[in-house]
This record gives sequence, structure tokens and C-alpha cells, in this order.
Amino acid sequence: MSILTVLADRLTGRYEVDEYGEDRQLIDLLDPVVRQVLHVVVDGARFVPATGPAVLVANRRVGMLEPFVLSQGIRQATGRQPRFLGIPDVAPLGLVLRRLGGAVNRPDELAGLLRAGHLATLPLGAAWRRPLRAGALAPECIAPALDLDVPVIPVAMVGGELTGRWQVTVGAPVARPASRGPLALAELADEARAGVQALLDEAFPPRWPFA
Amino acid sequence: MAMRVLLTGVGSELGWKVATMLEADPAVEGIVGMDMDRPRRRLRRTTLHLADPRERRRILPVVREFEPTAIVHLGTWEPDARSAPQVAAARTSSGAIAVLGAAAELPGLDRIVVRSGIEVYGRSRGSASVPDESVPPLPTTPWGRSLLGVEKLAVAAGMVGDVPVATLRFAPIVGARHPSPLGRYLRLPVVGFSALADPPFSVVEVDEAAQAVVTALHRRPDGPLNVVGAGAVTVSQAALIGRRLPWPVFGPELAVLRRLSAIPEHLGELIHRGRTADGGRADAVLGLELTRTPDVIRQLYGWTPPADLKLLEGAA
Repeated sequence: MSILTVLADRLTGRYEVDEYGEDRQLIDLLDPVVRQVLHVVVDGARFVPATGPAVLVANRRVGMLEPFVLSQGIRQATGRQPRFLGIPDVAPLGLVLRRLGGAVNRPDELAGLLRAGHLATLPLGAAWRRPLRAGALAPECIAPALDLDVPVIPVAMVGGELTGRWQVTVGAPVARPASRGPLALAELADEARAGVQALLDEAFPPRWPFA
Repeated sequence: MAMRVLLTGVGSELGWKVATMLEADPAVEGIVGMDMDRPRRRLRRTTLHLADPRERRRILPVVREFEPTAIVHLGTWEPDARSAPQVAAARTSSGAIAVLGAAAELPGLDRIVVRSGIEVYGRSRGSASVPDESVPPLPTTPWGRSLLGVEKLAVAAGMVGDVPVATLRFAPIVGARHPSPLGRYLRLPVVGFSALADPPFSVVEVDEAAQAVVTALHRRPDGPLNVVGAGAVTVSQAALIGRRLPWPVFGPELAVLRRLSAIPEHLGELIHRGRTADGGRADAVLGLELTRTPDVIRQLYGWTPPADLKLLEGAA
């Protein structure tokens, strides 16, 4: 993809923006820059399905950089471009984030992405004081995964905004509840959160003061 | 079984295309078309009744005398398409009450097809970007509220008559010869777009919208269906495709632009907040393969000759 080709496409409107506002050409264009800024190492990429929808549930500390880290890591490791949920729906930030693959964090938005066969990344609650703790996950946020029978995959991210070095660990899909309903949904959300915590504990085993 | 179809909104481009398809359909025994204006082209088998939708006393005898077995209600008036916004809202509401209300009392009625739009979902902050039919409608513009009002009337009429009601929620309908505020706006020499948002929107081509109506008439689906061309474009991108000059505008300028260009509220919302929906259910139920939105936009600027109007295979 040469700069001239991109420029010609931009001047004639021959580029694709999907229904959610994602601009794949722009993402491809920014990829070399992002690679320079973010050094992401991904472990367990084999658990991400090569095709079809899946929900990646990931921890976050503040939540500013993690969506880009996860997207970049999964893109590098699998070639698939995940869509990250949780963008603010206000201009101009919303515009920029949508172009880069963002979407608002709503169950019906997630459902639409999954029906269209996308990989979607769902953030756990922010845990800025305790970076190695998985935050909370409201069951209703993950309801579309249960309704549409889509795999839920825990992901742990550890790294630093200042260093730009990140470790992304993808776990095996969590066990699906045998039934449907509010209890099954709560169990799925608990399983997803526990899966993320287990990956964090594995990467950084808890240290006890007198152990 | 032979159908007698009452078709409202026959004077519009969409109505004329639907009437033409029904005239070519051997399963249709008779067609009565109602509107304020005559269609711009000739219809051979359709009996026309011209009346303002607000004149209920002129509409009711026509419906009762014809005793339709099917109602195709396309008589929804988009603000600034064929009439001013306030008049459009009054005509949409009054026409729906008269036609759907009278039809519900008819014993022979067995199906209703209603033209609605994805404007019923609204675009409030934080709402779903690509809603499917399960998302509760929450209109944020007068046009969206008008359409939702028609939907509710149609559902009520369907319950009274115990007949299926197919509510077709169309993306903005455009076509080279279809008068619509969006089509007019995109064909201005300079097209303003929201510099801080420039969100994506989807459209549906007018011929395909007509095909969707006729297919729904035959297949009798019950409930809402989003009829939306796949893919999306932004306003700036559409302007570039049409070789217009995209002009970035900000908040206050957008308000000025709306006044200067007579942009109705729902079009302003489209420019500022975007408008798409998930049309997967309609594709499956109606078996349609709609033209992608970027291609429809190219056709809008292309001024191609009218496409042959044919019933979809298997629709009859």
C-alpha cells in the first residue's frame, strides 16, 4: 500500500468505512507507527478463533491504552482486527476511536458485532490502584455471548504506558454454562473474570510477606 | 388466492414502482392507489383516488367500498421531501389513522405492509450504532416519531383484524430520480459534513425498496424488518464519490447550514450522528440481496436509466 494509492483513495472516496465507523485503510496506514510505539508480546494466540465471532474479556488498569494494546497484539499474532468496546460517544474523540475500531459498550452493540462475525474485546472494570487484579464484569454486558453461543476468552494484559512494553496472555475459552437464564449469565461473567485473574496470577504469582 | 391491494402513497416514486410491480403480478386481482398527487408516470391497472390524507371522510368510503385483502401503506410523508415538515407530520398521522383504522374493520383483510424507517431507533448519545429489530425504538427526530406512530397504529390494526403486519424500516431511500432530502443534499455542489464526527450512514436504493415491499406482501412476515443496504459511507466520502466539494463544518456552522439548505431535523441528525442498522433479518426473511451502500451512492450520482422493474424470483 503506497502513500500515493492511499492519497488517491482518500481524494476520490474509494475507501471503506464500515457501519461502526471503522476505517481499515487508516488502521493499516497507522500500523507501522503503532508498532514503533507499542511493543506487544502475545502468548496463547492459538485460543483466538481464526474465523467467526468471539468475545475477549480483558483486564485494564486505567483503560486509556489497553484497547489499542490488545487490538495491536491480536492483530499482530492472528491477523484479525478486534473491535474494542467502551469508547465515549462524544465528538471528536468518539470519531477517532471509531475509525480505529472502537464501539460503545452496550449489549446490543456487542450483539451486532458478534452477529457480523467480529472479534470483540470487552473491558473489565478499571482497577487502577491494583493493576494485577481483574475488575468487575456486569453480567448483562456479556449476555449477547451467551445468547449467540459465542466463545468467551479471558485475556490478561500487563505492561506500562511509559515503557510501551506489554505482555498479552490469551487463555482458553471459559466453560459455557449448561443452561440459559440470569444464573447462567452470572456464572459466565464470574468465569470470565476468574479466567482473567488466573492468567494474571500465573504471570505474576502472589507474593506473601512471610512466605 | 387473488389479492386486492390498497396502496397508499402511490404518487411517490416508491409508490409508483410498487404499483408497477403489482400490476405485473398475476396474483393481484385489483389495485386501488391513494395519494394527494398523481404518479409522475402512467399506471395501467391501478384505480387512482386523489385525496389529502387529512380528509378522512373522503378516504373511508374508498377503503370500505374496495374491501382490500391487503394494505400496503406507503403514505408516510418525509419532512421536506414532498411537503413542509409540519404538514408532512399531519398527513402521515391522519392518513395512517384513516386507512389503517378503516382497514382493521374489514373482514377480508389478511395482511398489512407498512413503510417505516430506521429513524425510529433514534441516535441519542451512547445508543447502539447498528441496531437490529430487537433494540427498542427511541426516536429522536419528528420524522422518527411520525414513523413510530404509524407503526403503532399498524400493529393495533393488525391486532384488531388478527392479521400479520410487516413493518419495513427502511434506511434512507435514495435513487437518481427519487426526491429525498438526503439525495438533494448530497448532490449540492458543496456538501457540508460534521468535521468533529463525520459518522457513517447506510441507504437503500429505491428500486430495491419497492422489491422489498412486494416481497413482504407475498411472504407475509410479521413484525419489524430493517431494510438496509450493507456497508456504509460518511458524508464527506459520499461527496468525494460524487465529485463534490466536502466542506467541514462545526457546531454553529452546522446550524446555519441547516437553515440555509432547508435540512430537516432527521437529516441534520444523520449528518451529525450517522444512521445505520442491521438488515440481516430482512435479508433472511425476504431473501433480498441489496446493493451495498457505497454502490447506491455511486448510482445516485450516476443518473443511470431506470432499471427494469421485475418481481423477485419466487416472490409470487
